[in-house]
Amino acid sequence: MQSRRSFLTDSGGGLGSIALASLLTCDGELHASDSPAKNGDAIGLHHPAKAKRVVHFFMSGAASHIDLFDYKPELVKRHGQASDFGEPVEAFQNGLGPWLKPVWDFRPYGDCGKMLSDTVAPLGLVADDIAFVHNMVSKSGVHSAATLLQATGFLVPGFPGAGCWISYGLGTVNENLPTFVVLPDHRGFGSNGVKNWDSAFLSAQHAGTIIYPGRSEPIADLFPHKAGTFVTKQGERRSQELMVELNREHAATRAGDSRLEGRIRSYELAAKMQLAAPEALDFTNESATAMKLYGLELGPQAWEKEINAEEETYHFGQKCLAARRLLERGVRFVQIWSGNDNGFPRRNWDSHEDVQRDHGPLAMGMARGCSAFIQDLKQRGMLEDTLILWTTEFGRMPSSQGGKGRDHNPFVFTNWLCGGGIQGGMTYGESDAWGYKPLDRSNPTQVYDIHATILHQLGLDHTKLTFRNNGIDRRLTDVHGRVVQELLA
Amino acid sequence: MSNQNNRYRMQLICWTIVAIGCFGRYTPCLGQLDLHSEGYFQERIQPILAAKCWSCHGPKVQKSSYRLDVRSIAFGGGDQGEPPIVPGRTDASLILKYVSDLNSELAMPPKDSQQPRLTEAEVASLAEWISAGAVWPDSASAAMENPLDWWSFKPMHKATLPNAESNPIDAFVKAKLSDNALTMSPPADPLTLARRLYFDLIGLPPTPEELDTFERSSHVDAEAALDQLVEKLLNMPQYGERWARHWLDVVHYGDTHGYDKDKPRPNAWPYRDYVIRALNEDKPYARFIEEQIAGDILWPSTRDGIEALGFVAAGPWDFIGHAEVAESKTDGKIARHLDRDDMVSNTIGSFCSVTVHCAQCHQHKFDPISQEDYYRLHAVFSALDRTDRKYHRDETHQMRFLTLERVKSETDLALNQIEEPLKRLAGEEYSTLTKRIENAKKATDKNANKGAEFGYHSAISSKQDDEKWVQVDLGKKGDVDRVSLFPCYDDFNAIGAGFGFPVRFKVEISDDPEFENGVIPFLGRSDDTTTADVKNPGLLPMAIHGDREGGKAGRFVRVTASKLASRNHDFIFALAELQVFDRSDTNVALGREVTAMDSIEAAPRWRKTNLTDGIFPAQTNGDVKETLVQERDLLILKLADDATKNRRQQLLATKKQIEADLKKLPEPSLVYSGGIHSGSGTFAGTGAMGGKPRPIFLLVRGQVTQPAAEMFPGTLSALQFRPSVFSLSPEHPEGERRVALAQWITDPANPLTWRSIVNRVWQYHFGRGFVDTPNDLGHNGSLPTHPELLDWLAVDFRDSGGSLKRLHRMIVTSATYKQSSMSNADGEKLDSSNAMLWRQNRRRLEAEAIRDSVLAVSGTLDKTMGGPGWQDFVVEHPEHSPHYEYDLADPEDAKTWRRSIYRFIVRSQTQPWMTSLDCADPSMRVDKRNESLSAIQALALLNNGFMLTQAKHFAERVMRESDDVADQVDTAHRLALGFAPSESRRIQLIDFARMNGMPYLCRVLFNLNAFTFVD
Repeated sequence: MQSRRSFLTDSGGGLGSIALASLLTCDGELHASDSPAKNGDAIGLHHPAKAKRVVHFFMSGAASHIDLFDYKPELVKRHGQASDFGEPVEAFQNGLGPWLKPVWDFRPYGDCGKMLSDTVAPLGLVADDIAFVHNMVSKSGVHSAATLLQATGFLVPGFPGAGCWISYGLGTVNENLPTFVVLPDHRGFGSNGVKNWDSAFLSAQHAGTIIYPGRSEPIADLFPHKAGTFVTKQGERRSQELMVELNREHAATRAGDSRLEGRIRSYELAAKMQLAAPEALDFTNESATAMKLYGLELGPQAWEKEINAEEETYHFGQKCLAARRLLERGVRFVQIWSGNDNGFPRRNWDSHEDVQRDHGPLAMGMARGCSAFIQDLKQRGMLEDTLILWTTEFGRMPSSQGGKGRDHNPFVFTNWLCGGGIQGGMTYGESDAWGYKPLDRSNPTQVYDIHATILHQLGLDHTKLTFRNNGIDRRLTDVHGRVVQELLA
Repeated sequence: MSNQNNRYRMQLICWTIVAIGCFGRYTPCLGQLDLHSEGYFQERIQPILAAKCWSCHGPKVQKSSYRLDVRSIAFGGGDQGEPPIVPGRTDASLILKYVSDLNSELAMPPKDSQQPRLTEAEVASLAEWISAGAVWPDSASAAMENPLDWWSFKPMHKATLPNAESNPIDAFVKAKLSDNALTMSPPADPLTLARRLYFDLIGLPPTPEELDTFERSSHVDAEAALDQLVEKLLNMPQYGERWARHWLDVVHYGDTHGYDKDKPRPNAWPYRDYVIRALNEDKPYARFIEEQIAGDILWPSTRDGIEALGFVAAGPWDFIGHAEVAESKTDGKIARHLDRDDMVSNTIGSFCSVTVHCAQCHQHKFDPISQEDYYRLHAVFSALDRTDRKYHRDETHQMRFLTLERVKSETDLALNQIEEPLKRLAGEEYSTLTKRIENAKKATDKNANKGAEFGYHSAISSKQDDEKWVQVDLGKKGDVDRVSLFPCYDDFNAIGAGFGFPVRFKVEISDDPEFENGVIPFLGRSDDTTTADVKNPGLLPMAIHGDREGGKAGRFVRVTASKLASRNHDFIFALAELQVFDRSDTNVALGREVTAMDSIEAAPRWRKTNLTDGIFPAQTNGDVKETLVQERDLLILKLADDATKNRRQQLLATKKQIEADLKKLPEPSLVYSGGIHSGSGTFAGTGAMGGKPRPIFLLVRGQVTQPAAEMFPGTLSALQFRPSVFSLSPEHPEGERRVALAQWITDPANPLTWRSIVNRVWQYHFGRGFVDTPNDLGHNGSLPTHPELLDWLAVDFRDSGGSLKRLHRMIVTSATYKQSSMSNADGEKLDSSNAMLWRQNRRRLEAEAIRDSVLAVSGTLDKTMGGPGWQDFVVEHPEHSPHYEYDLADPEDAKTWRRSIYRFIVRSQTQPWMTSLDCADPSMRVDKRNESLSAIQALALLNNGFMLTQAKHFAERVMRESDDVADQVDTAHRLALGFAPSESRRIQLIDFARMNGMPYLCRVLFNLNAFTFVD
């Protein structure tokens, strides 16, 4: 039997050809989405949109603002001195050792002169496009709760991910692909697994669909499982025809039930997705320049067993390029994860023991991919209406833990945004001299503000995008949130 | 958050100074009105409020739930929590700060609003008025809508039937239809009705034979046939399985904790089985409720009383927030607060269908639920955590167990009372020793293996009494003095030291490698390890000496385990090292060849040769710990007088006796439930305090950093059918709090409980409840479509003993239920959503029903009930954060072919196939399943390994039953869809099957709308 994928995508006959015919009529370009969405239950726009799509980079395990983006000369000066926060500090693992200077040197980049760490140097190329928020605060120093907070706006599981809300609000542009796509870390999920992106009380069609670029089956059940030894190309076509006929007959005697027709249609869409998804993830027509830009020119290699920059670059770059291709084809929200669970050896950003060891390769891979992605979008004119958010669940302490590591810092951390009407080359909100808490403690930025701002750029009012569940009109921003006008171009 | 609070205070102080300065300069004209008079408010103050404030905080709009036209709210505050007006206290009245401090974040009217600000004179008037006591007459306070004036908070009322219909349901439904110029649809045909009933009551499709029988008997006497079928289905054990799933949706049951790491809960399932059993036994609903909240107190000796408490622990649990963050830290407080919130919301939400969780940060905005009520409910559960609870299913054992446990805790308490003063006297020396003991304990708790070579490990057995042996060939016959068995260490399933050490075993020596001839048992006479269980030695080696005459002689030494060590629902035999000493005390087994009955041979950890490699885990510090404990005992005894010493001795003897008695009982069962947690370190629970409830404080704005007044156990105070603050004695055990709450819920006069359950049951029969928001009967929920019928059924249900089966019977035998689901023009025109029930609703099967049906029609369904959940995933990295890999599971694994109710439910990695079919999310309290249609769902049903595997089994089944393709097609069609294909259709399907094979046709049948929808 031929490979599951090829038999569908080979030319000539099969389920694929039926799908292809209809695919060609509506695929290819991003449909204008200034008007309210096509999908029946979408909310539609509250005001004109500046952005049409969102990419959300999530560094799982808590990426250190101090070692990547938030330059603290004071720490360099006081490196090795006993840390003194001027107040009692509750640290997660009591990691309150001496002050620890950034593990890498910082240099200025771009016209804005933004100081960036050497380990994220590739981002220097796009520093003038990025707006940094250095006064983010979390409500929890526990990974799971804090990750849920950044991903869903709540500390407990059971709330829809940000992408679900956007799918719910705006509907779909290209029905042949999911509206909200999640590209997990290649090692596995971070804290809370799918709870960060599933639809909770919203309808399941708004859930994040997991896609693994580079795998033979990028979406679960996209092709028949190997147990289906009886499946053939002709059989797929004939059974599709037979099902339509039988289902139509069934529906004809049951007038007035739109679900029956809807279900017939879902099978058509499934067939189209079997073509659309592999096509979207097929890099063969990408130029050599593009492949090089994303660090993919060499393809997968036999990498070291230990976490290393080359491997991180490859996997992250692959996700970034896949994201661009998905966005071009109408996916509205792509969430890209870096970092697996908090286990050992470290496979995420939770560098309690050794910042250099874990952050080094992870940051280099991330920076390379993000930078390529931003440059690529810019070249293609997509950056202006694609909003990019880079985040993590919280920051890390300016004091050391066990000499080379850092403990959790929920009191302040860094996010950055880019594109989609965000003003580039600026910094909004500062942390204090150590990167311990916001400089202005009474005016921190919270995830609610970031979510409100993203929704705003998409043409949605965060106070109006609601869904009633168990007696409450739920919002992505709970009862909080302020559109951060200062960030907008 | 505490910063914010400080900031607040700072600003308040600053502001007070400014304000005083301000009032100093102005002398407002008070006219002739007395500041303390009622008229003053109406003349001077209300006009200011009306002009400057009411547009946002008045009769029409209430931003932040705050309004300045109603006195109680004006004084009490909105969402912000703090009272804005404190009579007589200008310094504490925040409203003055808001209206006068332009720079404040909360400046009022807000900086960006169009509303003009208060003049300085107006601010001064306001301040004067507050300072004079803020007199606000009743007559000038707007009448608030009484939140109790809402149908579900009023007493139930059993109306007289509106007409002479024999079934009361039909009486109400027909009356409503005729009021709206509608009529009922004709009854569904017998086949349709049967299929509907099977899915509704047992969640499985009828077989063609069952359909034939029902159709035949329907022609004779339709009513009798229906009654008979309903009776049959309600008495099938599959009824409990079907309806338990509905209940588990509501209570968000799962088999893992969720959150980070998402550890499994191997003992959650007894609660799931309890629910199935309770429904099958038609347990009175009040008892069902009381058992789940306080069964351990009300029926302590019964299995149900304990297993039901799984309800309290059903929801997710933040492992890291509890196990790695102490209760003293803010994050630890948040984790525990949210954990209790889940218990409170689950209890009141499931049984009473009100949204009490909305009162966490402020008074409920819509329903009569105060913040105090919410925190009183916290106090009910404040002694509890989620934990495994020991119990005995056998009632006699359980009673004995409880008695012994009680005496044990009394003894512990008495010992504690004696030792506490001595410990204090011993002071630092005592605490130093304790610390050293803790450290010694930790040292032994760590992985003790010296290298990767753990030892010998037998194959895994499903039965504990399977025999396994391992033996060493000494190379030549020789005298043997003694044999030493060294236990293994493995963290698997948190077993650690003593991993795999046999519970019963024998050691033998022989010259025959087969141990058939000349076998000499090698056991001392007193320690018979073959007939009595051996205490697990931890890491201490166990020496087996020869008998009095001295050693034995032989070439082969064999250890045979006759009762294996328990691992994780399975059994094994493992040893780290086997040493055999000759008379000169030399280990003659070292490096010798090992054979075994079986071995898992997973090098380097586990292999036969490891048994004689000289590598074994050492008991690190174990003996030191014992010495330290002795040392500490001596230390405090030195300080005690003789009487105390004697008393202590007696108590220790009692304790030892109880422990011995407890050991005589069979191994207790475990259920993951709400209970007193006796941990140590970061997650201590309340066990150390004898289960004394934690104090609960009202949290201002729901912030753990802002505790206000202490709250005592109670419930919704607006409902007055029974005291809402529980009167409990000062030293009451915590369980009494739960009993009080349970009895408040099951009080016959509780207006919520009975309506809640009847509405839920109705929904599962019609696809929609009278109230379409079954978890919310409050102001934010929808209104009942048939309020009189809902009340009638609720009262009838309550008064007839709370029998769910009786309620089902009444519903499914009604003409209302039996209606056809076909649409008609009149109905569509007048009531397109079918709220008035002019037809039955066509239902889409839930994920579980689809899966169970696929198995049932394929003939592969394993109807075994109960026990640990089946797992359709492979766990990778179990040691830290388990990865639940569904892709790696084998769809041909017949263990997974049981009903879906027995699925092991993982929270962080929900089963993707089930999830695509709108399966309930175990992190949420689901009152009604979503119904979505998507390409992903179609792909799941077409291509998932489960579907394709079962299509093959389905095909095999029909091919087994007949050689004739026509018959096969017929059977398959009838099995899957409940009816035979038409003649022309049959020909077409035969054609298809001939061309593509029967499995292909079976897959098509599974994917049809007719398979998924029930008319």
